[in-house]
Order: sequence, then C-alpha cells, then structure tokens
Amino acid sequence: MSELYIDGASPPCLRGQACGACGNVAFPPNPYGCETCGAPAATLSDQALEGRGILRAFVTTHHGSRKDIAVPFTVASIALNDGPIVRAVMIEATDASLNVGDTVHSVLVDGHPDDGEAHPHIKFQRTEKP
Amino acid sequence: MRKTLKELRPVYVVGIGLHKYQAASDTPYVTLGLTAIRQALDDAAIAYSEVESVYSGTALLGMAPSRAMLRHLGASGIPIAQVENASASGSTAVRQACLEVASGICDVALAVGIDKPTKIRLAHDSAGVPDLVTGHMAPFTHFALLAHEYMHKYGVSPEQVAAVSVKNFSNAQHNPYAHRTRPRSLEEVLAAPLIAGSLTQLQCCPIGEGAAAVIIASEDAISRLNIARSRAVRVLSSVSRSEKVYDAGLDPDTQLTRETLAMACAEADVGPGQLDVVEFHDAFSIEELLYVEALGLCGEGEAAELLSRGTFDIGGRCAVNPSGGLLGMGHPIGPTGVGQVCEITRQLRGEAGRRQQPDARLGLAHMVGIGSVCVAHVLTREP
Repeated sequence: MSELYIDGASPPCLRGQACGACGNVAFPPNPYGCETCGAPAATLSDQALEGRGILRAFVTTHHGSRKDIAVPFTVASIALNDGPIVRAVMIEATDASLNVGDTVHSVLVDGHPDDGEAHPHIKFQRTEKP
Repeated sequence: MRKTLKELRPVYVVGIGLHKYQAASDTPYVTLGLTAIRQALDDAAIAYSEVESVYSGTALLGMAPSRAMLRHLGASGIPIAQVENASASGSTAVRQACLEVASGICDVALAVGIDKPTKIRLAHDSAGVPDLVTGHMAPFTHFALLAHEYMHKYGVSPEQVAAVSVKNFSNAQHNPYAHRTRPRSLEEVLAAPLIAGSLTQLQCCPIGEGAAAVIIASEDAISRLNIARSRAVRVLSSVSRSEKVYDAGLDPDTQLTRETLAMACAEADVGPGQLDVVEFHDAFSIEELLYVEALGLCGEGEAAELLSRGTFDIGGRCAVNPSGGLLGMGHPIGPTGVGQVCEITRQLRGEAGRRQQPDARLGLAHMVGIGSVCVAHVLTREP
C-alpha cells in the first residue's frame, strides 16, 4: 500500500503520481495503473505535491457513520498549489473559523483512536496570516 | 455497426407493480418481491408462464436471491440473473430486460428490484487505494461538500436547497408506495437533525425495504398475448455510463449525469425541454438541483429560483420527482430504479391520480450508483 505523503518538507508533501505516458498527475497514488490513459503501474512515478492550497468547499459532519471515528469532524475540498484537487480531513473539528478561499497547509498527525487511523497521517489546517 | 435501443425492434413497459417502500421489517424479501411481480403480471394481464427472462436488481441480499423468490411463481426453467450496480442496480436490470427484448432473444422479460437494509460493504474500501478521507466520506458528507460548493458559486441559500425536500414530500404524500408520507414545511426540514454541512436528516433519503417490478414486451408479445396496447409505454432509449477523469474543478457526479442524460435524450431524439416528467436520483436534496441543470431543464445556477416558482411542481413546466423521489418515496437500493420506471409509466398512462402531471407524453428516469455509474431511460406514450 502506498504512503500518502513524503515526509521531510515543511509542510509535508503529498505523494502524487505522474504518468510517463500521458503526463497526468494524480492523487492519491495507486499501485495498478493510470486512470487517465490506462498505462501500467511501471509507467507511474512519484511526484511530490506541495502541501499547500486553497479551500474550495468544506463541511462539518455531525452524524457518525463509523463507530471508530468521532464527530463532529470537518472535511474540505482543497485546490493544491501544484494542481490536483484533493479532499482532506481538517485539523479544525468544525467549520466555524473557515472560509472559502482560505489558504491551508498539510500537517502530519499521529494516529488517534478518534480518527479511525492508527498510523501517522495527513490532515490540513488553515494557515494563519502572518 | 453500433446501434441504439431505438434502432432495434420497439420495446414497451406493459406491466408495473410495487411493494410499499418502508422501514426494515420482518417481512422476507420473497414476500416483497412476489407482491410487486404479481401486481405487474396482473397489470399486464399475463401469466408468469409467459415471462421468458428475469433480471433481479439487488445489491444487499447476498448471492443467488432470484430463484428462491421466483420458484413460487411456478419454476419454469427460464434464464434468471442478479444485477448489482449499487443504487443503479434496478435501473440496470430494466436496461438488461429492454436490451434482451429489443435484440429479439425473447419477447417478454421481467425486471424486478428487491432489497432489505443491511450493513453495506463497499469493494472500493478494499481496493488498495486509500486517500486522505478514508472513513470520513459517507455519501452525505460527499454531497454536503457539493452543496457547499454550489451554494457558494451561485449565491444559493441552504433554505433554497432544502426546498427540494418540501416539494418531494408534498408529492410523496399522495403516493401509496412511499416510505415518507408526511408533508413537511421548510421550517420542519431545516429543524431536523444536522447530518453534514447544511444537509439535515430530512434532506437525506431513507434507506428501507421494498420491491418494484416492470414487464418489458415486444410488439409481437403485445399482439400474441392480447396486452392492452393503449396502456403500453415505449422505452425510447436506455443509456448506462461510468465515471471518467474530468477536468480539475468539475464535479464528477454532475459531469457523469450530464453526459449520460445528453446521450439518453439524443438516442431518443428528444430535447430536454420536451420532457413532461422526470424522476431523478435525489438521494440528497442538492442532487436534484445539480441534475435539473445537468439535464438542461435550465441554466447553471438557475434551478433553485425556478423550483421556488413552481416550475418543477406537478402541473409545472416539467414535474420533477412526482413520486416523491428518493427523498420522499424512499431508496431501498435495488427497487429504486425499477420504481422510477413504474412512476414514469403510470404518469404517461395518465393513471397517477393526484400526482398526475397533466398530459404527460415524455418522461425520463435517472439513477446514479456509487462508484460512480449512471443509468437513464426515456419513455413515451405513443399517440
């Protein structure tokens, strides 16, 4: 299973995948083949995507569909500065402080029982203006 | 050379039947299915022994549910198969029945949808391609995100989106097969528990149990079996599509629906403006606004305003979800797409009672399935 991030940069980069045949850059990565042109996995290579982008939309979910994930939580649609649009869980549990157009960045967080995720993983957070 | 349904021999819906959509009960799925099938056979006034092929749309019952149900109609040895295509399972069963009759392989085919609620296990979750929202992206969260984006883009309010539920509950109160039969005010819809984003519980469809059946027949069968030609409704087109990779920023659900509905209308040689009645996959209120625009019933960002003016009411320019839709009639999964074809047929026959769209001649049924897939049929009452 592919890791979803490349540690080292600050903020951490997402592990994007570039297709050597058609040039498409996708996230999340997959071990099978290019969704755009069908080229096999050997044609795909890692491409680091900067963990910064702009909030396109966000919602707070109040209704749990899994017992191992605590509510409320907030997920967002984010246009990465490097192109792809990704969906991510926000550090902010509710959307009270968020606005469309806000700048956000990736954060590597430890696994937590409330996240349904035992391993370190990526969330996003609103970037405070300097 | 590739052919469309319309270029093959004509196929007709000649019988419809339903078991009420309802909350999960102890009723066996066999009872649900047989109720709908027997009603469809009675409606067509033919015996089960005339049916030559059966497709069962079901996603939740487990392996091989068809024969355990159908044998009680008299085990006739005909080909039977289950069709699983998520929420579009029933629509896909209808499509398979239409294609089989249109091709000439059989003259009478039955499409039945049956399901009972259970814990859903999605193959997607074990595909080995995790993302950043694994476990956090239930359908209601997904569509709440689309709602947020839509409202921000077009300056539409949460109240305008919630108005979809008010209309569809109003339609469902006159549908004896509907899961939700109580009309609701806008205040009630907005005051229901928040699920995700601005979507309240009354803007999310109920998943229950039920059954729906349609009998598809050729002209040969209509003549040979003395089926009432005046009540036969022709299926003009049947289109099934799956999601492609769309340009960044375009919502894949709406794009998939846009191209599927455009093909369904083109293959039927019908413009969207000619449609009198449409059943959309409104599992969540926002979807109806997105798909009304994707079909081309109005321009982008205009659906909410037209909804408030009654354009999509029964009696309006185009009746949208006169059955109550998934929000009102309910979404028992397998039956839903078949039930839509029942409703369109009833409307085109002029037999929809208090839900009747006046002088309905052309109708469209549309389902989306997680994955995503999209299936649409255009039907007409021939003069």
